[in-house]
Formats: sequence, structure tokens, C-alpha cells
Amino acid sequence: MTDTAPGLPRLGTTLFSLSLEQRKPGRDFASLVAEVAARDLGPGLEMVAFQNLRGWPLLSDEQVREVRSVIDESGLTPSCLAINNDLGLYPDRLLSDDESYEYVAVQVRGAAALGFPVTRVGVETTPVILERLLPLADQLQVKVGVEIHAPLTIEAPPVAALKELFTRLDTPWLGFIPDMSSSMRAIPGAVDDAHRAAGIAPELTALAKGLWAEPGPTMAKFPELERRAAEAGATPAQVGNLQMLFTMHGRMAPERWADFFPHVVHVHGKFYGIEDGPDGLTDPSIDWPAVARVLVDQHYTGFISSEYEAHAYSDRYSAFDQVRAQHDMLRTLLEQQPAVAR
Amino acid sequence: MGPLDDQVVRADSLTATPDGLDIAVYSHWYRALPLPSLVRADLTVDGEQIDTSTLSVTVNGHRYAFAELAGKGDEYWFTTDPVVLHVPVGTAPGREHRVQLLLGLSIPYILTGPDRVPLVAPSRTDKTLTATGG
Repeated sequence: MTDTAPGLPRLGTTLFSLSLEQRKPGRDFASLVAEVAARDLGPGLEMVAFQNLRGWPLLSDEQVREVRSVIDESGLTPSCLAINNDLGLYPDRLLSDDESYEYVAVQVRGAAALGFPVTRVGVETTPVILERLLPLADQLQVKVGVEIHAPLTIEAPPVAALKELFTRLDTPWLGFIPDMSSSMRAIPGAVDDAHRAAGIAPELTALAKGLWAEPGPTMAKFPELERRAAEAGATPAQVGNLQMLFTMHGRMAPERWADFFPHVVHVHGKFYGIEDGPDGLTDPSIDWPAVARVLVDQHYTGFISSEYEAHAYSDRYSAFDQVRAQHDMLRTLLEQQPAVAR
Repeated sequence: MGPLDDQVVRADSLTATPDGLDIAVYSHWYRALPLPSLVRADLTVDGEQIDTSTLSVTVNGHRYAFAELAGKGDEYWFTTDPVVLHVPVGTAPGREHRVQLLLGLSIPYILTGPDRVPLVAPSRTDKTLTATGG
């Protein structure tokens, strides 16, 4: 596995990038992992436990041995296991704090059994539950990271509460997982494919993109989007699809990721498409030079998991090729950063 | 909305059985979901709306009445597996059916609004397909 230079963030891939690939005939878990390794898209390997591991969260000893053996044989390094706190497991009620703790704790134990050093939960995992998980994380030496995904930003109240918790506990076992969906500079072009397939007029897509790009908090723009889209003939379902763009793509300045340090335990290299431009590989919707600068400035040496998500909008591009392009771009950017005082 | 919508009901999804029409349904969500997440299966076959209370569902080799799924929070519908809807309509191998399905999946970790209600992710299918023999 090709690694970045010592002292820099390391690269890797999450199998989530391969969500469409996973559905192809003949594909299985072992073949996805093997192909990530064969294409040198490590060294880090992340996956969503509920996506890739049949039987999760209760794997038999034999299943644990099989998964470990697939990863060992690939030569990849387990970086992070994305787990879920399914608070809405039963649609008519939310899990109690005790149920939520148990639901996550079982999965943290599972991650330890599989050899993952970090787990990812969502912001629905409250500070109360995280503090309860700390002794288990410490005992198992498995970090629990809360993913900061669009529409969350540094200003969101739940994020402030987490920052306060991590500062107070001052522990390496709990922290943040920045996801670049929160800090985008444009709505991805792949959205056009999805909207065309869903019969959404290009004028409506353009309206949403234009409003999104205007200054001001995204959440405050929902009523205007709804009003103007309805005036332009959008159905309620189409308005919902347009609003989803505001939820999935955040506009926080990438420099603000610095404020999450020193409590960052893993990074999601979320992206929607790398293009070959006149100045080399570039990402129209995410400012990777700015992100690389923050990570190097903050002395981050953990993994950046490449997380290609345009598969949610379009099947036109190869996820493997896209991750390859992102790795090539990131490696160059990281290694070009001026050395910082250590 | 996305490439997985077209895979919810596939070209080989319909099977004629002595009890009616079986429809293999694939998830449009990227991860396994607990069975209570299958909250909505509004189905119309050849223009006839199917009362959900008459549907049964086979998942992981077990057959449940649709309403029973709501209590099966310790069982999961895996990412790449189909569930089979057993639909009490007349059919035979080789017969063509128009299948319209609104599948609604409750996403248990995405809570929306002040009441923290799970997001329901819809997927719409409208296909005319031929049933094979069971």
C-alpha cells in the first residue's frame, strides 16, 4: 500500500463509496475489499457495519474470523467502522437512553472484535450517551467519533454541546469526525442527472443551486426555496427533493474545521466528483486545498477516508476511478503543504 | 431519488405461485434496516389497489404478516437481499402485470423536526413485467 509521507494525514477508502458496486451480480464483501487493495486505494479501510456485514450487530465468532481474515489478506489497515444509533428503531417511539447505550455499546464491542480503532456514530448520539460510553471505549481502546455531516456546522447547537463535552472530558477516546459535506463550495453536478431522471425541470434545479450559493444560513432559505419553486410549478414531492439539496450540502467555510481540533479522531473525505481541469485534478464542489491546509496545520496524522457519494445521484461514473483521482489529488496537495512547526 | 430506485423491482422480480403473485423487492437504502423500517408498501397490481393488511412478507426465510414487521426490531433486512411480498391476486407463469409500488422506509437514525420523527425515504416504481413460474 502506498502511504503518504510520515507526519501527514493518511489516505484510505470507505466501502460506502462502492454502494452501487456492491449491488452488482457476483460481488461480495471479500471482492470489494480485495479490489480496494488491488487498486492501491488504502492503506485505510472503513466500512458501514450495517451495509457490509451480514448479521451485524451480532456476528458469530466464525463471522468475526472471516471478516478479519479478509482484511488481513488484503493488506489494508482498519481505520474506522461506521456504526449506527438507531433511535427510531420502532417508528412509534424513540429508544430510551438505556436502550440507546446498549445498542451502541454492542457495536463498539463488535468493532473491537474486528480490529477497528475508531467507530463512527451520528449526532443523534447525545453527550449523555457518549459520556456513558467513555469507560467502554477506554477499556476496549476503541475511539467513538461523532460525524459532523451537513447540515451541521460549527455553529449548530449540538456541535457546541459536543465541543464542550470533549473539552471537559479531555480524553482521546471521544471526538469529532469531520465530513466535507458540511463545507462545500457548490452543489455537485451529479445532481443534474438525478433531477433529470426524476422529471425535475432544469430551471428548478438552477433555482435551488442559485439560492444555495447566496450568502446567509442555509436553513433560513428553506421558505424562499419552497415559495419560489412552487411558483415555478414544482410539485410538493419535487420541493422536497430540492430542499434535500440544502440538507445534504453545507456551506461552512472549510477553514472552520480548525475549530474542531484537537478533538478530531477521523476524517471523512466526502466528495461528489473529481475532474481533470487545466491545472490538474480538481473538485468543483469541495475546496480541497483549503481542507488540506487545515489538516496539515493541525498536525492531523489520522486517516482521510475517501467517501464518494455521487452514487446517490448518478451511476455514470466509476466509484473506483473517482477514489483513485481523489487520492492522486489529495496526495499532491498534502505533500505540497509547507512544513509546519511540530 | 437516485440509481437504486430502478432496482427496487427488477425484471425478474415477479413469480406466479398457487397462492398469488410474489414480488421480490430490493431496498433503495444503502444499509441494512431493522424490519420495522418497512413502514409503507402501497401496492397497485394491474390497477387494483392491494390492501396492505392482506400482504405477507418473507424476509430472512421467515414469513410475516405485513403488520407483524413493526414488532421485529431485532431482525434486519440486509442491503443486498430481497424481501418477497406475497400478493393475493390471480396470476400464472408468463402473465404480464403492471406493478406500481410506493415503498416507504423509515430511516431510524435520521430524526427530523422538533418531534424527532424518523425520516421516511420513499421510492416509486411503475413497471410492467412478466411473472415466471414458481
